[in-house]
Amino acid sequence: MKPPMHVAKENEVASIGLPRVPKQDEQTAVLKKLDDLRSSMRSLMVMLENCTKCGNCAKQCHSYLGTEDYHNFPAARADLMRRIYKRYFTWTGRTFGRFFGADDFDADTLSKWLTYFYQCNECRRCAKFCPFGIDTAEVTIAARHILSEIGIMPKFMQGIAVNMNKTGNNMGIPQPAIVDCAEFMEDEMREETGLDIKIPIDKPNSDILYIPSSADFFTNVDTMIGAAKLFHYLGVNWTIPSTVLEAANFGLLFNLNVMREHNQRLKAAATAVGAKLVIQGECGHGWRAAKAYTDGCSAPVSFEIVHILDYCDQHLGKLPLKKLPLRATLHDPCNYARAGEIVEQPRRIMRACVENFVEMTPNRDENFCCGGGSGILMDEMMEIRMKLGKKKAEQVIALGKLDYLAMPCSICKAQIPVVMKYYGVDDLMMGGVMDLVGKAMILGEA
Amino acid sequence: MLYFVGQIFPYIAAAVFLVGMIWRVWTWLNVPVPFGLTLSPAPRTLTGKAAAFGRELALFRSLWSGDRGLWLAAWLMHVSLFMVIGGHIVGISTLGNEFTAIGLTSEQSQRVSGIMAVASGLLLFFTLTVLLYRRTAIPEVKRLSDPADYFDLMLILAVVVSGLHMRLTSIEVDIAAVRAYMGGILSFQPVPIPNEWIFISHFFLVNLLLLYFPFSKLVHLAGSMVNQAMLIASPPVYPSSMKVDSSRVQSNVQIWRGGSQQ
Repeated sequence: MKPPMHVAKENEVASIGLPRVPKQDEQTAVLKKLDDLRSSMRSLMVMLENCTKCGNCAKQCHSYLGTEDYHNFPAARADLMRRIYKRYFTWTGRTFGRFFGADDFDADTLSKWLTYFYQCNECRRCAKFCPFGIDTAEVTIAARHILSEIGIMPKFMQGIAVNMNKTGNNMGIPQPAIVDCAEFMEDEMREETGLDIKIPIDKPNSDILYIPSSADFFTNVDTMIGAAKLFHYLGVNWTIPSTVLEAANFGLLFNLNVMREHNQRLKAAATAVGAKLVIQGECGHGWRAAKAYTDGCSAPVSFEIVHILDYCDQHLGKLPLKKLPLRATLHDPCNYARAGEIVEQPRRIMRACVENFVEMTPNRDENFCCGGGSGILMDEMMEIRMKLGKKKAEQVIALGKLDYLAMPCSICKAQIPVVMKYYGVDDLMMGGVMDLVGKAMILGEA
Repeated sequence: MLYFVGQIFPYIAAAVFLVGMIWRVWTWLNVPVPFGLTLSPAPRTLTGKAAAFGRELALFRSLWSGDRGLWLAAWLMHVSLFMVIGGHIVGISTLGNEFTAIGLTSEQSQRVSGIMAVASGLLLFFTLTVLLYRRTAIPEVKRLSDPADYFDLMLILAVVVSGLHMRLTSIEVDIAAVRAYMGGILSFQPVPIPNEWIFISHFFLVNLLLLYFPFSKLVHLAGSMVNQAMLIASPPVYPSSMKVDSSRVQSNVQIWRGGSQQ
């Protein structure tokens, strides 16, 4: 089986400290890693040992609904690991084999893992509908971690790891370029409002550390402008650290060691400027990585961690907002609605910013993923990505004529516009929620 | 042989069931939870958590919001199973006189008890059959199923059929004799098993099920609770309290390269 993505070469994986294990040692290495993980992550062990194979998850997974590929059915996807787990780590699997759904590790095992665990968006919708709460994302995280630990990963992930090591952000933007971009945005805001709204980079002694998404410096500048206007209006002392320009933590999406490094980088940056409050920008899995994983990676920390939409919502009453004449809807990023308790905040903000807010169905914690989640943004996987996004396109199209689709997550912002175009929706503005705040806020003379 | 089936095997089965289940749950609880996996919106209060847990446990709420047909079959199956087990305990220990507590005569009580037993048994039989059919009728579920998945259903069906046999055919099983026998077993002074082949098969199959239980997916009885508890746990709070200093960063977390103390 040939995986659908470009796989990082041996010299490339070695360059990020995850050398490829020789073919003949793969099985031993994988089983050792799996053994380590099962004795370190209760979730993995319980979830691999308790599926009753009822199949309820099939119709709840956008990946399966879109691709109609059996192995993208959550229980079947998890079974790719479960069968190996049973064979080597349970008495029944060792003794009775296939009767209990155990399979030998074979030449195809790892290419299947690479193929299908990278078609799971880690959206956790299956966990919501599983009567036992089996969360396939946990299995996917474990599988991707094991693969990368033996030097098998998409080229896409390896490239991001290189950039993150070098600059602390996914896009590999060096500090001077960051300052340039910030100045450019400051100029734009000056032109629009006549005010001197700052985007301070690496300002020492800041109360608030804002961690945006690196894409907010280039493709999603309106999100950054919205945040800058908010901070300006509230008159707070804030800065963006050039060392952690990135809320996104791609480590969570392919290697837990890389995830921990990035998480510790966040702690170091906050400590360096003495921030008491860390605000995470519009990034879905980055929010989950900061909120849920800091405890296990960098604890204890002396700062509070809040999401920009939560922060904005807390101050919503004070903001000088004038509703924009738009019919707008919200796509709930999976990591907000199912993993991060950011559900009503963006709704309250949007109702304050647009005249006509409509809900797509299903929504909130039952929303479907955009299909790009967990970093499935490889160009070479475009065909699969469009299938993963099919359910999302159907949801949006069902709403009829819209002016704006809010998707407060950088991965959604990279995936959904391509999906909408592919399914024939051309005339729709798309962007973040903070974009709307920036546009609806009346500042200065205007 | 009858001595083994009647006076030895029940103890083996019960011991394996109890020790096996405790062992399984222990192996799960013994593993740390390095990262919280709260599934939001998560209840914050203890009452809220108990309610969420109860809804899942008693009403199968997750299935309800998914496939209603599966929910109906699975929920009724478990409810009737619960009634059958409860009915055995109450019905055998009172010889069918349990409803005299609500004012029925002994005769009426035995009648009601018998009707309820047959009704729950038939419902259990019917729902198990539906689940078995469903497993073969839905292509992806069929492909996912292992022999063990069919075996589990058929083993329970065999127990149910042998049980119903004693209710629905002319075979008379003396409940008083069964009570005396069960009393002997439970007081560790086993007496010979009532020599009625259908009762012996029923009892033997139940013991087989107990023996098999901890090694099968039937452990979802306990696993579902361990799993749900992780999903409704409260998310971490920052700044971290220095007192509960990183309980998650435990020395037995073997994820990190270079050890956990890095």
